[in-house]
Amino acid sequence: MRVFGLIDGNSFYCSCQRAFEPHLKRRPVVVLSNNDGCAIARTREAKALSIKMGDAWHLARKRPESRPVVWYSSNYALYADMSRRMYQVLAERVPGVEPYSIDEMFLDLSNLPGDLYERCRQLRQDVLDHAKIPTCVGWGPTKTIAKLANGLAKEHAELEGLCDLTDPAIRLDWYRRTSIDEVWGIGRQTTQKLKGMGIETVADFVALDAKTVRQTLTVVGARVQAELRGQSCLPLSDIAATRKSIASTRTFGRLLLKWDEIREAIAHYANRAAEKLREDGLEAAHLSVLMQTNPHNGDPWYAKHAAVTIEPTSDARDLIRHATELGNAIWLPGYRYFKAGVILSDLRPSGSQGLMFASRDPVQSATVMAALDAVNARFGSGTLRPGSTGLKRTWSPRQSLLSARYTTRLEEIVRARSW
Amino acid sequence: MNYQGDRTTGFASPAGDNIEGTIDLMSVALDLRQPSRYPVRVEGDALLGRSIRHGDILVVDSAVAPRAGVVVVASVGDELRVCELTQRAGEWWLRSSTPQTASVQVDDETDVAIWAVATGLVRTDV
Repeated sequence: MRVFGLIDGNSFYCSCQRAFEPHLKRRPVVVLSNNDGCAIARTREAKALSIKMGDAWHLARKRPESRPVVWYSSNYALYADMSRRMYQVLAERVPGVEPYSIDEMFLDLSNLPGDLYERCRQLRQDVLDHAKIPTCVGWGPTKTIAKLANGLAKEHAELEGLCDLTDPAIRLDWYRRTSIDEVWGIGRQTTQKLKGMGIETVADFVALDAKTVRQTLTVVGARVQAELRGQSCLPLSDIAATRKSIASTRTFGRLLLKWDEIREAIAHYANRAAEKLREDGLEAAHLSVLMQTNPHNGDPWYAKHAAVTIEPTSDARDLIRHATELGNAIWLPGYRYFKAGVILSDLRPSGSQGLMFASRDPVQSATVMAALDAVNARFGSGTLRPGSTGLKRTWSPRQSLLSARYTTRLEEIVRARSW
Repeated sequence: MNYQGDRTTGFASPAGDNIEGTIDLMSVALDLRQPSRYPVRVEGDALLGRSIRHGDILVVDSAVAPRAGVVVVASVGDELRVCELTQRAGEWWLRSSTPQTASVQVDDETDVAIWAVATGLVRTDV
């Protein structure tokens, strides 16, 4: 029998922090977005203090009920390594794992011998023991059902983190009690459309005539319905195939006026994007730059985006030069800039196209970039970098509450007192 | 470099069927890519009796079953400690290196839990 599972880390970013810091065990923990802007992960205790997803930190921290909260800047180096651990535990135990996002993974649980419930319980225990991440697991005959089951496991404490929706009768029972907007692939607009038709629960939606669904919600909606009926339409995918584009965009740590500062930031973003490009052995033939003012602070709105086709390259120096030229063309004085970014697209394997009149010697370029990457791999990201990316970087995002990178930096590993 | 003592050009190597590869210390105890292995920096010299010094890097494994006598990293209330594990009447206890200090029981109620078991030690400051 075909069975899909979905396992996801409970308040994943917060759980990563808790894994290394026993004092957080029962305390409300909140992880903030880039630049310490707003709440993006909350433990159960923090949710109980009515801290909402997206709450602005500078407001939420001032509320008296927020006093016990421990706040953290997002520590993506740590979260990525913990996600890697979670994936590895699963990949050693089930035939197929698809990392869908940093904290949730689809599982192929088809045709496994023994009791599936016991196996999922054990998977959950193993992820907790090895990767130190508490999780929930849901499973059923399709990915959409597995995702729904996972949501139920998370929401209903009495399920103890496990929800089996393989049985059609049990499934229907849950469908009757579950609102349609809990379904993966049913967005806000679709929910409104369905509610207008008198559809409230998943059971109502599943009972709709398939033709009607196709007419009102197109093939996408029809696929969701088929999946909820137990017909699998979405297979397990491999780890993300080659990237289509690489983006490096950030909100600045403060508003920037001067071109010199924005130029530095853009050069930095281009350098980061070039690093990611080389990590994947790719070159980019298209580059775009964006910059904008803050849409929320009452400043005049300005947002501009410009793109250019370039000679395929992964050389940081070329990409920085193109990005700064483009940035200079769209920058206007008088605005306070809030955010900028560099996006590389039209990606191809490096060296795939021998350019007859390449403006840079490809062998020399590859050697220089390899040396740059080798130094940074050995001594830490950003050790050696083009001078145009700035030295002081007063524009870099605020990360005032960053914890140690416990598993990726030797000088930041956990400390324990001998007793 | 692919020569392992086997593919000789003149005389056939008599060792051809006995190539085993070099000992891999990484996989024995140090491989931090294993999802259950974590590095921990030791602070203090209380465990000199176990030859564990201040500044040592312990490699610990959170999936290894605890045994009496092993060194563990344990969470005691809000802090992490490195100490010896003992067993008494089926219960686990953390034993202090100072004889005057009483052992503490590993238990949810006392808020003491085994975080990971030490599997190796790296000393960079010899």
